[in-house]
Amino acid sequence: MLKSKTFLKKTRAGGVMKIVREHYLRDDIGCGAPGCAACGGAHEGPALEPQPQDPASSLCPQPHYLLPDTNVLLHQIDVLEDPAIRNVIVLQTVLQEVRNRSAPVYKRIRDVANNQEKHFYTFTNEHHRETYVEQEQGENANDRNDRAIRVAAKWYNEHLKKMSADNQLQVIFITNDRKNKEKAIEEGIPAFTCEEYVKSLTANPELIDRLACLSEEGNEIESGKIIFSEHLPLSKLQQGIKSGTYLQGTFRASRENYLEATVWIHGDNEENKEIILQGLKHLNRAIHEDIVAVELLPKSQWVAPSSVVLHDEGQNEEDVEKEEERERMLKTAVSEKMLKPTGRVVGIIKRNWRPYCGMLSKSDIKESRRHLFTPADKRIPRIRIETRQASTLEGRRIIVAIDGWPRNSRYPNGHFVRNLGDVGEKETETEVLLLEHDVPHQPFSQAVLSFLPKMPWSITEKDMKNREDLRHLCICSVDPPGCTDIDDALHCRELENGNLEVGVHIADVSHFIRPGNALDQESARRGTTVYLCEKRIDMVPELLSSNLCSLKCDVDRLAFSCIWEMNHNAEILKTKFTKSVINSKASLTYAEAQLRIDSANMNDDITTSLRGLNKLAKILKKRRIEKGALTLSSPEVRFHMDSETHDPIDLQTKELRETNSMVEEFMLLANISVAKKIHEEFSEHALLRKHPAPPPSNYEILVKAARSRNLEIKTDTAKSLAESLDRAESPTFPYLNTLLRILATRCMMQAVYFCSGMDNDFHHYGLASPIYTHFTSPIRRYADVIVHRLLAVAIGADCTYPELTDKHKLADICKNLNFRHKMAQYAQRASVAFHTQLFFKSKGIVSEEAYILFVRKNAIVVLIPKYGLEGTVFFEEKDKPNPQLIYDDEIPSLKIEDTVFHVFDKVKVKIMLDSSNLQHQKIRMSLVEPQIPGISIPTDTSNMDLNGPKKKKMKLGK
Amino acid sequence: MASVALSEAEKVYIVHGVQEDLRVDGRGCEDYRCVEVETDVVSNTSGSARVKLGHTDILVGVKAEMGTPKLEKPNEGYLEFFVDCSASATPEFEGRGGDDLGTEIANTLYRIFNNKSSVDLKTLCISPREHCWVLYVDVLLLECGGNLFDAISIAVKAALFNTRIPRVRVLEDEEGSKDIELSDDPYDCIRLSVENVPCIVTLCKIGCRHVVDATLQEEACSLASLLVSVTSKGVVTCMRKVGKGSLDPESIFEMMETGKRVGKVLHASLQSVLHKEESLGPKRQKVGFLG
Repeated sequence: MLKSKTFLKKTRAGGVMKIVREHYLRDDIGCGAPGCAACGGAHEGPALEPQPQDPASSLCPQPHYLLPDTNVLLHQIDVLEDPAIRNVIVLQTVLQEVRNRSAPVYKRIRDVANNQEKHFYTFTNEHHRETYVEQEQGENANDRNDRAIRVAAKWYNEHLKKMSADNQLQVIFITNDRKNKEKAIEEGIPAFTCEEYVKSLTANPELIDRLACLSEEGNEIESGKIIFSEHLPLSKLQQGIKSGTYLQGTFRASRENYLEATVWIHGDNEENKEIILQGLKHLNRAIHEDIVAVELLPKSQWVAPSSVVLHDEGQNEEDVEKEEERERMLKTAVSEKMLKPTGRVVGIIKRNWRPYCGMLSKSDIKESRRHLFTPADKRIPRIRIETRQASTLEGRRIIVAIDGWPRNSRYPNGHFVRNLGDVGEKETETEVLLLEHDVPHQPFSQAVLSFLPKMPWSITEKDMKNREDLRHLCICSVDPPGCTDIDDALHCRELENGNLEVGVHIADVSHFIRPGNALDQESARRGTTVYLCEKRIDMVPELLSSNLCSLKCDVDRLAFSCIWEMNHNAEILKTKFTKSVINSKASLTYAEAQLRIDSANMNDDITTSLRGLNKLAKILKKRRIEKGALTLSSPEVRFHMDSETHDPIDLQTKELRETNSMVEEFMLLANISVAKKIHEEFSEHALLRKHPAPPPSNYEILVKAARSRNLEIKTDTAKSLAESLDRAESPTFPYLNTLLRILATRCMMQAVYFCSGMDNDFHHYGLASPIYTHFTSPIRRYADVIVHRLLAVAIGADCTYPELTDKHKLADICKNLNFRHKMAQYAQRASVAFHTQLFFKSKGIVSEEAYILFVRKNAIVVLIPKYGLEGTVFFEEKDKPNPQLIYDDEIPSLKIEDTVFHVFDKVKVKIMLDSSNLQHQKIRMSLVEPQIPGISIPTDTSNMDLNGPKKKKMKLGK
Repeated sequence: MASVALSEAEKVYIVHGVQEDLRVDGRGCEDYRCVEVETDVVSNTSGSARVKLGHTDILVGVKAEMGTPKLEKPNEGYLEFFVDCSASATPEFEGRGGDDLGTEIANTLYRIFNNKSSVDLKTLCISPREHCWVLYVDVLLLECGGNLFDAISIAVKAALFNTRIPRVRVLEDEEGSKDIELSDDPYDCIRLSVENVPCIVTLCKIGCRHVVDATLQEEACSLASLLVSVTSKGVVTCMRKVGKGSLDPESIFEMMETGKRVGKVLHASLQSVLHKEESLGPKRQKVGFLG
């Protein structure tokens, strides 16, 4: 039967369009209950159970199916995802509404519905002849959908009765809408609110915790005092943004100060790019990453970013006065020019809430069910949740989702989602940091694995087409020890004409990952392999990363080769790109390769090849540095792991050998050559990488710090910066140069991927190259896979596909890759931090030499070269009398009592693991030298009981 | 215009018949052929109608779109006409063959319908000087069997009766910027009053008498005809002489009187048919080739 559906739509230009769609009604849609004679029960996919054996509900003891409405699905998805909830009928009407309103929830419900165990059934009621309803006169779209849901519920109940006379099966309608529920009961449909139903599941009391607590509108006035001003409605915000009264931007909470945040304004507006928000009321319930509308305050109320480090420790709700006092503390007198545009949040355009990892801070009152949850991310405020299992959740890492933030509440309300495990457990912590950094780490799905080549795999005739056989060449790979995903190999040989032939061979990953299939999509989503201290989260399945693509020695492997003919002065005479087959003769570590080059009595092919490469690399590097490439430094550490417990037993900063830079040099050269080639071929849609020059203001801190040591750092160009960094040496202070380079690294901008057709600045500042891309690590970076495809098309070795030459698609890929790379970096850092904690836990308390990196208003940030560890030494503590602190922003320096601290000063600090605060175990540093009475701790009391007094202090604070 | 070739004898036969108040198909001089009217035939228009008058077959669609009012009439909406002479009506219309006729009909329709005494143009205004509804009236000639103007005017009136314009609200904030909000109930719409919408009655002078609703053959026998647009109350709103022959004032008066008389009856029966059709509700089965 054919019906036409007519609806009106407002077009973007402001017009009104009438749209007519054909709508087919059918009478062969099954009800999803197996054994139903009327429907034949013939359909694929998950179905309901014939006799649901659900946990007994005290409200409806007989077996039943659930039928939730849209709002229940949207808000109580955490409950529905629980394994205890099964046999749920999801209506098409509901599903469509969910899709329009929240894409993430839609994805989650689809995942649940695909799970055979859950017995969810999607009923296409909109196309069923008996359950289709047309919008009636005087009925709006929502009313119509509510009616459609009720009609379907009613149909189900009648339909199930028909199945057999003694059938007790029922469909229970779950809705939180009071009116809808009343109407349903009137029509004879058993209906409950979500809360009523979940509470009636006496066997699963823990489900109640997962209920989202949505206060009904009437209840909101319960605890009188309104803290926050109201958010303006979206329509007003949009008008305000259009007229320029409000500015739209991304809200970024400060990690160091919970009362401060910045908003990055969208658009190209040069001034007011970054707006400061200070104080709880001005932050107005915005949460990190939200898209907000802000109003600029008059200039007289502008403030400067404070240098105070403040963490929210208050337990009590009524501490608002205290907050105000703290806010005042931020507003110290500052010179006019330090003032930055300041604003306040007037409304939220889009919430970017996600489930947050963290820990429970149990309430003091024993019976209380309301507790505060402290997220691991310091930028997220604490969340109030209701739970009865507080005692079991204490000391665990849990996940909590935010439900809302009423105006009268100091903290947002949320509900418990999942228990990850004990705090401090390695698996739990790894899970936490992967979740917190949004790293996709689930095992690869069957769909993805189905696109892997069948084993045993060998190179066929077809593979040899368009491919050069380079198996006779003496190729070897040089990598860090223990590396299983070898994506590059090198060779060098002398040609008959006296020139040198140098080849860089990169694993041909794009041969295995074909565009558009599930494997490709998954790798594109992951974007990069994430290396944690003891774990690797692969971008491609292991079969590829550690076997078929890995250029292991003595096996035939497919490669993408970049071959240059060079003279002995490392000048490129000819460049050739080709797909090839290689057979690596040796997989060496950096140390092994170094040993071969250095030992005079080895003269085999591999060694001569390595020596040739090394010689050329040195010339290349020299030339690159002359051009103004920067050599920067960041302290990198490597853990020695215990082979059985996988606990770190020693820390070591990475050692750099000549061979490291040899490999690096040729990779850079290959990347640059490929970048030129693909840009030449695809000027509009080449995937390139750029590193923008930092704005001069970024260098301020570096210049100031160097000046305090009577050194001059020039920052006008990359070359002058490199040269002045080279010159900045102090004979009495050899480590100074490294410190300066570490500081310089902090001044840099992030390098990013971009599509050449969307940008016109290609320059790579750090490498001083006019054009650059990533070609050499396709096993662990998706960008390289795209570059491989582009290059393959450019040389005619592979065919193209439409998405490859769509610059908007490419720009989207770049955006995702940049995000994933940033997150991978953060996850890596977090993993190192956690292992450092483990290390110091076993090591106990140690005193080490450290250098001051930054000076803050009430603290100093120090670097301990021995461990490459950075930490903050605080000088203000709650229960101690505050020492006299004088902070000078110009030098910068901090004077405490009589001692003055400058950047790069050498100090001695005591390092220990502070586990007094279970929420955030952290490395705590305190000053040992220079000694300041009342602040530094004496050197000899090594067995001081740190945890005792701290605990007491927490209680005092409440 | 579509025409047929008649022999002298045939013409004489027709003229003599008319003289006797007996036409070739058996009608009297003031009788219309059987008219078929069906509305709401094209679902993606705001209003539509199909009219069959003998062999004349007309489809009219009305599409409401938002536009800006004309400068001289800031608080009125307006109508736009476009007449498409389909080549399926007659081979003469192929290519640009129908353009002249189309423009001629469209111009006549502008004169008759696009004024505030026929259609309440003020209800089409959304906000003065800024937004108004523009009704695009598209006329499609499917077949020509004589008396085009009358059939078209009936179809336009029926389509206007059937037109439903979505109700919109203009939201204004403190800063004076306006935003248009569309009601999400598809039944919430404006209807036009067709009370004063006129119909055209064409009177063909054949011999010394005149006939209404001439067939193609009769049109071939007529040298001049008079187009009279009449409202349901019998008020003549417009008049136009068509054809190469001349009419003496006396017969013009006679023809006007006939037009008024016939027009009133035509309006009454059209009105009753339209109301009857509407009372069947949205569940009515559609008939005709578009059903």
